[in-house]
Amino acid sequence: MAGFLDEIEPLKQTALAELKAAPDIAALEQTKGAWIGPNGRFTALMKQLGTLSKEEKPAAGKLINAAKVELEAALAEHRSELELAAALPKHPTDFTLPGRRRTLGKLHPLTQVTEDIVRAFRKIGFAVADGPEIEDEYHCFDALNTPADHPARDSQDTFYIATKVENVFPSPGGEGRGEGGRSSLLRTHTSSVQIRVMKSQPPPVRIIVPGRVYRRDNADATHNPTFHQIEGLYVDKNVTVGDLKGTVEFVFRELMGSDVKIRFRPHYFSYTEPSYEIDFTNALVKKMGKDWLEIAGCGMVHPQVFETVGYDPAVWTGWAFGFGIERIAMLRYGINDIRLFYENDVRFLKQF
Amino acid sequence: MKVTLNWLKQYVDFNWSVEEMVERLTMLGLEVEGVQKISGAFDGIVVAQVITRDKHPGADKLSLCRVNDGTGERQIVCGAQNFKAGDKVPLILPGASLPPKPGEKEPFTIKVGKIRGVESHGMLCSHEELLLDPEAIGHKKEDGLLILRENAKVGQPFGEYLGRSGGDVVFDLEITPNRPDLNSVIGIAREIAALTGNPLKLPAVGGACVLASLGEGAARQESRPTAADLVSVRIEDAELCPRYTARVIKGVKIGPSPVWLRDTLEKVGIRSISNVVDVTNYVMLEVGQPLHAFDYHLIAKGSDGKPTIVVRRAAAGEKFKTLDNQERTLTNEMLLIADETKGIALAGVMGGANTEINNQTVDVLVESAYFSPVNIRRTSKLLGLRSESSYRFERGADVGISDWASQRAAQLILETAGGQLAEGIVDVYPTTAKPKQITLHFSKTKDLLGIGISHADQVSFLTKLGLSVVEQQPGECTLSVPTWRVDLKRDVDLIEEVERLHGLEKTPATPPRGAIGTNSYDSRHDQIAEVRRILAGVGLNEAQGQTIISKSEVRNVKEDEIVALANPLSSDMDVLRPSLLPGLIQSLRHNVTRKNYDVALFEVGRVFIKNIGATNEERRVAIALTGNRNSLFWSGEEREAKFDTSDLKGLVEELLEQFGVRGATFTRRPESTGMFLESATIALGGKLPLGELGLLSPLLAKKYDLRDAVLLAELNLDQLIARRNAAKSFKALPQFPSSRRDVAMIVPESVTHEAVLQTVKQTKAANLETVELFDVFRGKHVPEGQKSLAYAFTYRAADKTLTDGEVNSAHAKVVEAFKSQLMASMRE
Repeated sequence: MAGFLDEIEPLKQTALAELKAAPDIAALEQTKGAWIGPNGRFTALMKQLGTLSKEEKPAAGKLINAAKVELEAALAEHRSELELAAALPKHPTDFTLPGRRRTLGKLHPLTQVTEDIVRAFRKIGFAVADGPEIEDEYHCFDALNTPADHPARDSQDTFYIATKVENVFPSPGGEGRGEGGRSSLLRTHTSSVQIRVMKSQPPPVRIIVPGRVYRRDNADATHNPTFHQIEGLYVDKNVTVGDLKGTVEFVFRELMGSDVKIRFRPHYFSYTEPSYEIDFTNALVKKMGKDWLEIAGCGMVHPQVFETVGYDPAVWTGWAFGFGIERIAMLRYGINDIRLFYENDVRFLKQF
Repeated sequence: MKVTLNWLKQYVDFNWSVEEMVERLTMLGLEVEGVQKISGAFDGIVVAQVITRDKHPGADKLSLCRVNDGTGERQIVCGAQNFKAGDKVPLILPGASLPPKPGEKEPFTIKVGKIRGVESHGMLCSHEELLLDPEAIGHKKEDGLLILRENAKVGQPFGEYLGRSGGDVVFDLEITPNRPDLNSVIGIAREIAALTGNPLKLPAVGGACVLASLGEGAARQESRPTAADLVSVRIEDAELCPRYTARVIKGVKIGPSPVWLRDTLEKVGIRSISNVVDVTNYVMLEVGQPLHAFDYHLIAKGSDGKPTIVVRRAAAGEKFKTLDNQERTLTNEMLLIADETKGIALAGVMGGANTEINNQTVDVLVESAYFSPVNIRRTSKLLGLRSESSYRFERGADVGISDWASQRAAQLILETAGGQLAEGIVDVYPTTAKPKQITLHFSKTKDLLGIGISHADQVSFLTKLGLSVVEQQPGECTLSVPTWRVDLKRDVDLIEEVERLHGLEKTPATPPRGAIGTNSYDSRHDQIAEVRRILAGVGLNEAQGQTIISKSEVRNVKEDEIVALANPLSSDMDVLRPSLLPGLIQSLRHNVTRKNYDVALFEVGRVFIKNIGATNEERRVAIALTGNRNSLFWSGEEREAKFDTSDLKGLVEELLEQFGVRGATFTRRPESTGMFLESATIALGGKLPLGELGLLSPLLAKKYDLRDAVLLAELNLDQLIARRNAAKSFKALPQFPSSRRDVAMIVPESVTHEAVLQTVKQTKAANLETVELFDVFRGKHVPEGQKSLAYAFTYRAADKTLTDGEVNSAHAKVVEAFKSQLMASMRE
């Protein structure tokens, strides 16, 4: 009996060593079969139990079972090790290699800036409005208190449409390239939308109008015949210059940073009175070696404009302001040539 | 408008640094576009008087002097011997430089320094040091200091003492078109006077005595002819010329202008011509009133024997030579100054060559008039002729200043060219302009600005600008507007003036508040933004193209649908884009020629189409692809794959699905078009045109230097927005398993995927959930002209697990339909 019990421990040790030494899964399975498979040596030991006396059986059985459990645990552990080893790629992965990219496209910088401006205005209750780019002289000039003989209305700056169009609104003394002193043109500013909106909805009005505008300038680093403006219009009771200043400050701080300072200067636009130009300054402007940079024009809506659209200037006051989107984008990103916006070079587009 | 500091200071006292000046003018609304400092001759050299002259304690040949430089005393060490206490001499102050001698590179700059132990604060100068010939300037030539005239003013700049121009600062100001009164030095001085509260000092021209004293003396005054004896004026169109005045000066001597006049004009960019012409220009710049001087004797006499000015419209087609020697053809809309026989000036725009001042001129007629701004502007525009004069008249001159300006010009002509002034003036002014009156309710100022300004201050600001109070009552004031302020028309104009003088920075900003805005476009803006986000999300970069393109680039639109410009800048940009594709092709070219070969762009923008006498604007979205499909990678079969039609189709499908447009159909065009080698139209419900997509013709690709396949698509975004259904609702996830059946079949080439789907649809196979194409094959075992298609069919019931029998019987109907309707043979 003593001999049988004494055999178990060395046999277990040998089995453990062989299991651990198995170089791969196949060898491991083979070793498993040799020891704890149906014909394995431990299985044989179990069968020998029957030859033992009643007193000896329990101790021997316990011993063999414990050894078997230990062997199975060792087997499972080594199997996991071997499976992991087998799953490893042949060569170690270089995690510094560039990955396989699914690139997102970029929104055009002008779109991004426009959306930022729109977001800033919407925070304070403005709705986006829109109007046609082919305009008539009435909406672009006359209704904005700029009659045909007005020095501010210079045809050198305006593109006219060759097609003769039946416009509903006459412009007395206008360029008259169309019939009856009427003609179509490419809007020179988004302000024409002010008129269309005020004529179509009663006050109060609180809108912004982003859009393309056109001036008859040859393209150079600071000019493109096509460019973008955004217009803001607020008409309500008791609207003051203070409101205008407050809104301008809010919007430009949203856009250009909280260190922005705003300055109003007297200026002239035919459709606002008083009129102002807006200068701003911040760390960026100082870095450019300037005290102030001109950024926008604005003013209180001229009572004549209210009369034209049928609002009572004794009841309603309002302000309007407008600025160039390219200019904001150029300042924000440090872009030095406006033409880059319209060339669509992917090396440019991917930067924003 | 250019103006100099010294000129301004003739009319108003102020003491601002250049920086302050720029700031103040800017905040008044006179934006300073440029500042140019002009250094004068002998800067830093002043007339000084020697108070004491003593021996230098440490050097026999030197003197120690105390001198008065006009502001105080200073100690100077001097080596010259020819002077005594009381003499006036040139003193150069520390920091100033002597004029550089020929060959000298760096000028000699004076510093405070010790000479033999004694400090000298400047240097007294000799004529050699100043590079002057004393005799040429009327002084004695001697060794030592240049001794100045006894009457020299102590402290006067030496350059001024010599009659040479001093230093000055030229400001280039942007004058807004509503303020013609600021196109004059006096106008700007008036603003400064209003801001500082200092009085505006106008030159005295009033009355005959001032003028006579400048003429040939009072003794001959009685014999002076009157202007009315010498000239007649007849206005035939008082609407275009509400006022015309004429003065006559006889016996002038035409010659060069004196230095002060020439200098002043040249500093502000006006070329000096002759004394009389320069005076007219000077007065125009001074007070803003354009003047014209005629040679009196070249004006034809009328029936009354006097030279006669006739202000009339030109005859249609009348020829007239302006003094730039250009012959102009006039229209009946243009106003002409004429005599009884010929035109002599294009009113308000330019004088005529036939009556201009010349070296033989002895008698001068000075015109000072007011012309209708609209008419001047039209004439100037039609002839393409702009002048300082037309610039001022078209913005609105001061109808009240005609006589004053004429007197001022006469005064200066007498001063610079001599002669005798005919007494009085011929002033034809049929309807005297009544000054405008505006009532300001003081509370309106607060309503508009949001800040209270006292009533007294409001009135005071306005009167400082030249308005006068007609009537003041509690709460309001009626003011009379001076004739030079053509821009002041209603109360808001006055409020602007009040705010300007009060200071814009004092109007406080108030936090945003007020109504919530609404506009029908607002949600549309977001839908357009959504399209952009979808396309950027699938890897396309957003482009923005030119709206104005060349007609020669347009290929996918009929010529009579193109909207052309009436006044294009060039043939490169002569029409409005009728499609986004020409611009995108240009952008591809721009990239590929710069070796950016892999380009995937989209654009959202407007196009313009002519449609029976009307122009339509339409929003489109377009896609352009060329080059490699995938971004650069270092391994794999697919890495060199180029974009193909399926990439384009996939992008369009993804856009439509994500945006919520269902039921788009794609129909292949049977023929190539000018633009596409192969293309399809896109429609909704088989009818409503939505757009097109296709492969760019390789001939065109070559023309645009594009080497890889170019895929293009364009869709009508307005229609997408109108037809989208963005509503989303939840469908319960399936509870029971599905069964799949695959079909692989060979069909004729003409059988499209769409036809297969239609066939399946018609079978109405029970419980069929999806049909997915998973293989298209041509080649081995597939006869020429045919293709192999493989589809996976998924069957599923919502309420039970389908049996094989149920699936098989449904699927058999589909297979049978393929065989009978599509001539399909099944592959096993």
